[in-house]
Amino acid sequence: MKWVVLMSNTITIPAEDLNYTSGKMPVHSDPNPEAKPLPKVTIDGKAYEFKPGDTIMQVAERYKLHEDIPRYCYHPGMPIAGTCRMCTVEVEKAPKLMTSCSTPAGDGMVVHTRSEKVLKSRNGVMDFLLTNHPLDCPVCDKAGECELQDYTFEYGPQESNFKEEKRVYESATTKKLSDKITLNMNRCVHCERCVRFTDDVTKTNDLVMVNRGWHKELMVTDEKVGLVNDYQGCLTDFCPVGALTMNDFRFEKRVWFLEKKPSVCDGCSKGCNIEVHHDKEVVQRYVPIFNEKVNNHWMCDEGRLSYHTYADANRIVSPLLPDTASGRLSSTNWETAANIVNARVKNASKILVVVGTDATNEEAMLIKGHFSARAEVKYHSGFGENKALDHLLRQSDKTPNTKGVAAIGLSAMQASDVTGKDLVVVIRQGRAQMPKVEGQDVILVGVYSREEIDALKASNVRIQAVLPSLATIEKEGSFTNCDGITQSFNAAVVHRGKALALPKILAALVGEKH
Amino acid sequence: MMYNNEHFEPVITPNVTKPGCETLDFYIQNEDGYKALEKALKMKPNEVVDEVKKSNLRGRGGAGFPTGMKWSFMPPNPVDANGNVKPKYLVCNADEGEPGTFKDRLIFTKTPHRMIEGMIIGGHAIGSNKGFIYVRGEWHKEIRLMQKALDDAYAKGLLGKNILGSGFNFDLVIYKGAGAYLCGEETALLNSLEGKRGEPRLKPPFPAQVGAYGMPSCVNNVETFAAVPYIIQKGWEKYAKMGTERSGGTRMIGVSGHVNKPGVYELPMNLSINDIIEIAGGVKGGKLKAVIPGGASAPMLRADECHVLTDYDSLAKAGTMAGSGGLIVMNDTVSIPEATYTLLKFYEHESCGQCSQCREGSHWLARMFKRILDGGGTQDDLDYIAKICGNMAGQTICAFADAVTGPALSSVRKFRSEFDEMILKGGLHGLGRQESVSHEMGGAHV
Repeated sequence: MKWVVLMSNTITIPAEDLNYTSGKMPVHSDPNPEAKPLPKVTIDGKAYEFKPGDTIMQVAERYKLHEDIPRYCYHPGMPIAGTCRMCTVEVEKAPKLMTSCSTPAGDGMVVHTRSEKVLKSRNGVMDFLLTNHPLDCPVCDKAGECELQDYTFEYGPQESNFKEEKRVYESATTKKLSDKITLNMNRCVHCERCVRFTDDVTKTNDLVMVNRGWHKELMVTDEKVGLVNDYQGCLTDFCPVGALTMNDFRFEKRVWFLEKKPSVCDGCSKGCNIEVHHDKEVVQRYVPIFNEKVNNHWMCDEGRLSYHTYADANRIVSPLLPDTASGRLSSTNWETAANIVNARVKNASKILVVVGTDATNEEAMLIKGHFSARAEVKYHSGFGENKALDHLLRQSDKTPNTKGVAAIGLSAMQASDVTGKDLVVVIRQGRAQMPKVEGQDVILVGVYSREEIDALKASNVRIQAVLPSLATIEKEGSFTNCDGITQSFNAAVVHRGKALALPKILAALVGEKH
Repeated sequence: MMYNNEHFEPVITPNVTKPGCETLDFYIQNEDGYKALEKALKMKPNEVVDEVKKSNLRGRGGAGFPTGMKWSFMPPNPVDANGNVKPKYLVCNADEGEPGTFKDRLIFTKTPHRMIEGMIIGGHAIGSNKGFIYVRGEWHKEIRLMQKALDDAYAKGLLGKNILGSGFNFDLVIYKGAGAYLCGEETALLNSLEGKRGEPRLKPPFPAQVGAYGMPSCVNNVETFAAVPYIIQKGWEKYAKMGTERSGGTRMIGVSGHVNKPGVYELPMNLSINDIIEIAGGVKGGKLKAVIPGGASAPMLRADECHVLTDYDSLAKAGTMAGSGGLIVMNDTVSIPEATYTLLKFYEHESCGQCSQCREGSHWLARMFKRILDGGGTQDDLDYIAKICGNMAGQTICAFADAVTGPALSSVRKFRSEFDEMILKGGLHGLGRQESVSHEMGGAHV
């Protein structure tokens, strides 16, 4: 797949290019093809059709010319501010340069995005923005994906004549705004994307600018309440400089070492489109990517930090079998484990298979195909009916594929289903809750942590084997989200333990050659 | 006539020196107060707008936009998406904060009813039933006086429901700003009026479409409103004749600085700056060196340029502007770099900080001038000042960045030798000047 490296502020590749979105509709399709011909605007010598009401910037984005127009305050997911003055373009017959973000395109308008006048203006803006910026790129986490760096390289002056003392916000040089976000106000270019994000996207109004002019400072609206919104990670995505950084990623990795792979977040039933940033298969962070139908530009903090469970030291990454003498689970090799579980499944007469709703559609089909003839197959999420937790993305069902698993014809597991069974096979990938299987003989397949195993043992579950499988970001498949949109994904990282893909484990369980 | 203008008579200030001139009784008895309102209410709104259009009244806040034209931009019957009628608002901009400008304060303290009458006529003309008077926060006394005037007008039935039996309703409310210079910019004023940060809005939409609280609004200066009753009562011809071809009436000029009789003078527009200085008693304590003709934002003029007339077009031709009518006179004891630094310090403090160029540029310029005063300047700095100003002017949402470049650029261009001397001799200290003279500037006496 062709993949484009995305900066946090640019509109990302439209949905029709993402092979992991189900609908193949273009993002901005014209619902009425018989309408009169669209007006045209000429940008850099080429005419483009646009929808009335579009700004010059929107036209440029629609035709992917946006890389010619630099911007700080403009963000496609937020209201227009028009304050950074970086996106100015020359419009013929207009007396002054116009900000492309706020100027509506007009029929017959002729726009130059890189004329001498425009480049001079951008050079001027960069000169101003760099006066008070600390230029601490060597220790800044944003370095490498910083728009101040990029635009300086492209438009900025070679040298500065600024001989005065730089502005220093003594109390906000390293200020923890919350347990997730750290502010370095000295680096801020006052684009106020963050303020508009909390005002208009999350509607929590928890960030404000105080003071005016050159000592304008970003603050939490109410110090007693603090920064509380559930989408704080997004602040660091669209902050064009290193002013707002995520504590989770701070000083962890220089961004140019990161390899970027698209995937889908499995933290809830929304299925936000993400980019998994990893270095040598070690995940460093998740970053949302634009999908108009699913998550727009955003993702919640819970999902963003959910990669930690897959890199946790307590995750079981090799098959475990109980020691015959002591009953303690100990690590073994797959051959031994396969032989034992295969015999155990063969000897059982009444089997219940519980599929977690964190299985992919493909896995669920496979499980159904393998077991429906000889066992009862049910699904389990443990979160009940899904509800939206806010107006944006967060959902109460913390598993990614409840709709998909239910759609293949399985029914939800009831408490009574376990009675009278002599073996329960739980197949679950770390997101669905553990089903209630007290007092049963259980084979665990999927993603488990040591705590979960201990908790099961404590509730008198007789664990026959633990067979680790791959987590979402380590495998390919598809999820159907709460809105019924099916999204497929490829493996983003290579698993570094001994876990196997589910088809192989299933083959071992039911004794078929694979 | 003393001003060499046979048509001239004071429009706003004929009686401001008389005791009790601020009261409603005085206004009604001695100045035919509210007669113009009576007349206007009998006219159709568009007739009132036409009258003002023909009078060539131009906005007195600084930009000089034709008032009648502004009023005619107001949509006649605005409705929202659901077909509900939208209210229209009339806003009086009394956020007089331009250094060197103090004419509106005179109107507030001496003849508030003239402005109130002008606003009611304006409300009738644009079809508004609600007006706001946005007053700068520092005007405690003035707000008290204006409130008293409003209360009196309400008691007389000149404000409120069914004014003078015409069926026209109009309410006026005073809104106190929080002391930001920038809130004199009309869209920043509207934001401040709504309780938001006083930052200018992107235009379009213009206030006539989306103004205060999202409703069509019209913002005019105090002096503009105060001129309206005269135009209605005496007719547009008389008013237009007093002025020049493209700008009718008189102007209130606040003369400050090194003159013997500083204060507010209502003058015709065919006077030169030298004439005005003479009217204000001549230059005090030395020879004339420089004049800022239209409030601090207007580029400076050298003494040899002061023969220009003070109407909008002549000043614009001379590379400066009529602005808000604050004439700051500086004699030859003034150090231009120091005076300019004083102004730049003001701008550095008052920039709202929205636009990159203005936020960083106003700060940079002020620091640079300070360094030159402190003896750390170089010739390169002077060249760079022009470059900074070039990068600021005309590039931002509002005209503040242009205002900053006014004094900065004109001072360096027109008084380059003084800067050169300051740089060569090592700043103020090297020139043997210890104390800042800036406190002598802008002393206002009414």
